[in-house]
Amino acid sequence: MTENGDTTIDATILLVDDNAQNLKVLYETLKDRGYRLLIANDGDKAIALAHRHLPEVILLDIMMPDMDGYEVCRRLKADRATADSAIVFLSALDDVDAKVQGFSLGGADYISKPFQAQEVIARVKTHAQVIRLERELHARNRQLENDQSRILNAISEGIYGLDASGDIIFANPAAALMAQCSAEELIGRNFFELHFGQAKTLQHHGDADVTPVKATCRQGIPEHQRAVNMQRLDGTCFPAEYRSTPKLEGDTLHGAVVVFRDITSELDNEKALEDARRLVQEQRDQLAHASRMSTMGEMAAGFAHEVNQPLTAITNYARVALRMMASEPLDRALIEQTLGKIEAQSHRASEVIRRIRGFVKKPAVGKEVLSLSALLEETRQFAEVDVRNNEGGVEIFVAEDVPDVLADPVQVQQVALNLIRNALESTRSAGSSIPVEVTAERRGPECVRITVTDHGEGVSDEAEQQLFLPFFTTKDEGMGIGLALCQSLIQAQGGDIGFERPDHTGARFFFTLPVAGAARNS
Amino acid sequence: MSDIQQTVYVVEDDEAVRDSLELLLKSAKQAVKTYRTANAFLTEYSEKMAGCIVLDIRMPGMDGMELQKKLNDRHSILPIIFVTGHGDVPMAVDAMKEGAVDFIQKPYREEALLEKIEAALAQDKEQRKTLGEKQEIVRRVKTLTPRESEIMDRMIAGQANKVIAIELEISQRTVEIHRSRVMHKMGTHSLAHLVRMVLSVKDRIDAR
Repeated sequence: MTENGDTTIDATILLVDDNAQNLKVLYETLKDRGYRLLIANDGDKAIALAHRHLPEVILLDIMMPDMDGYEVCRRLKADRATADSAIVFLSALDDVDAKVQGFSLGGADYISKPFQAQEVIARVKTHAQVIRLERELHARNRQLENDQSRILNAISEGIYGLDASGDIIFANPAAALMAQCSAEELIGRNFFELHFGQAKTLQHHGDADVTPVKATCRQGIPEHQRAVNMQRLDGTCFPAEYRSTPKLEGDTLHGAVVVFRDITSELDNEKALEDARRLVQEQRDQLAHASRMSTMGEMAAGFAHEVNQPLTAITNYARVALRMMASEPLDRALIEQTLGKIEAQSHRASEVIRRIRGFVKKPAVGKEVLSLSALLEETRQFAEVDVRNNEGGVEIFVAEDVPDVLADPVQVQQVALNLIRNALESTRSAGSSIPVEVTAERRGPECVRITVTDHGEGVSDEAEQQLFLPFFTTKDEGMGIGLALCQSLIQAQGGDIGFERPDHTGARFFFTLPVAGAARNS
Repeated sequence: MSDIQQTVYVVEDDEAVRDSLELLLKSAKQAVKTYRTANAFLTEYSEKMAGCIVLDIRMPGMDGMELQKKLNDRHSILPIIFVTGHGDVPMAVDAMKEGAVDFIQKPYREEALLEKIEAALAQDKEQRKTLGEKQEIVRRVKTLTPRESEIMDRMIAGQANKVIAIELEISQRTVEIHRSRVMHKMGTHSLAHLVRMVLSVKDRIDAR
């Protein structure tokens, strides 16, 4: 090898001729051109060298004693290891038949003797390049094939290639693992019988055969199903998810490729997740209930007052009625009127108790179609129970076009009550007598927004960032559960909750709820 | 003064409680006047009102405690019976410290309420009588001339006529004349009685 201009081609050239003089000329012609040159003066040596060095190009003399060039060519081409070398025949025979025979034996080219140095150089260069490129291409193809099979082997999903009748023509190791046999055992078996044999009778709905993948094999319809039961070779089953894609060549259906995996642990995880979600839901409901009980506790004095008022009136009226009964003459009309008042007051007392019972009712009652105006009005009566010293009270404005919402009435009332009580407390602390304003309005086709606005002490910037964080509180005796719980409850209804700074001093909290119809349609 | 008409003033925001209480007290032959808010009562309040107040401690707007403070500011002597709810005992204690005569928890027994009202009315009558007497003493003190009241002060301080005469540089005889006029105007013959009368209204005289 020399540092000639053509050294970019690092190719091996085998020169074969029984004539030493010819070999010398060829050698002289091609040396110092970046080639590794090998020399053989008979067919056997040529074949041996070709085997050992796999030359890109072989310059082969046809007319040689013992074994002629044609025979050498035939042998080299017959051997896979040496078949890809470019064989350029060299001969003084300049007849067409000789050339044709050379090409028919797999020769790449033909150079007539006496040859021109330039021609030899040019042809050798061309063929060396071609062979090099071919070899690279082959190497790359092999590499790709290896990669592909490595991927198919490594992939954790099972892959089947099926013919049109569903017979397995390819299976990767993962498929074999899931079927619990070797890949070789799978080849040739029928996919439907192997994996869905037992269920066969169940797969027919009327005339349609709904065995998985059948529609793909027979009609070219891709499928994707989850949690289908696939049998293993031993007859046991596993839950699987699969996708099947038709194998099409042009318009002709040649079967299907099925990618599938065992989703046993996935289903287990999902179930565990679902269980955890249910547990969270239960705990949220329990926390909500505990919080309602605690609210009722805080409001106990107010409720006692609410019940005591009618009881006091009833006691008084009863005593009055007794006196009337004892007096002469008996004024029946007046007694009746007084008894009527007693009845009205007992209804009033039982109404208070009904409201409390409804509020502390144990588990969440579930989502219902709710009228917000009725719910907010009841909440207002509730909230005003323990703020009787507050002149402002609560005012409710429900826009006319507000539709019914779909939500849990108890939990929505709990949230509204919490916000309203906070607002009243803040109003009282600020010494304000401006009523707390509760509004409900439609926001878009699927959402109703409820706001609770007060003119109280407001919320500091710092507090605003943390309002909905658990255990954050601005109250001396607060636990920081209220708003965090409200957020959790509202989100469970598919709504949102937040804080806004109104134009005036004070605070505005809002929450949204899904419109009843919209939620059902979506 | 004992023949002044006493009225039970009921201040209660709850319509049913107010209405039933009014009927109850009327049926017990008691004069009643009812008010829906503390403000309504305060607007109508005058010193001439006699009787007692039955006052709900929790009310929207001005509550019972605030009304009590406003009445105290106006030197009202109307006894107040607070009507309290279940959890209002601490408030009731405060109210008692501010001079309420009593409190009663809702719902109450009629007998208990009437008893308390009766006691309050009796207290009102007594206070009003004492007040009447004191007012009479003050009226009499006001009829004294400056010289006479100066001499009365020295009499009460226990100075003898002779000492008063020397200190005021007047004759002992003149002192005796003033002294008999004081006793006459104050309507008593005994120095001990005079002392007691004047001391009982001492705060009012000092404020004159």
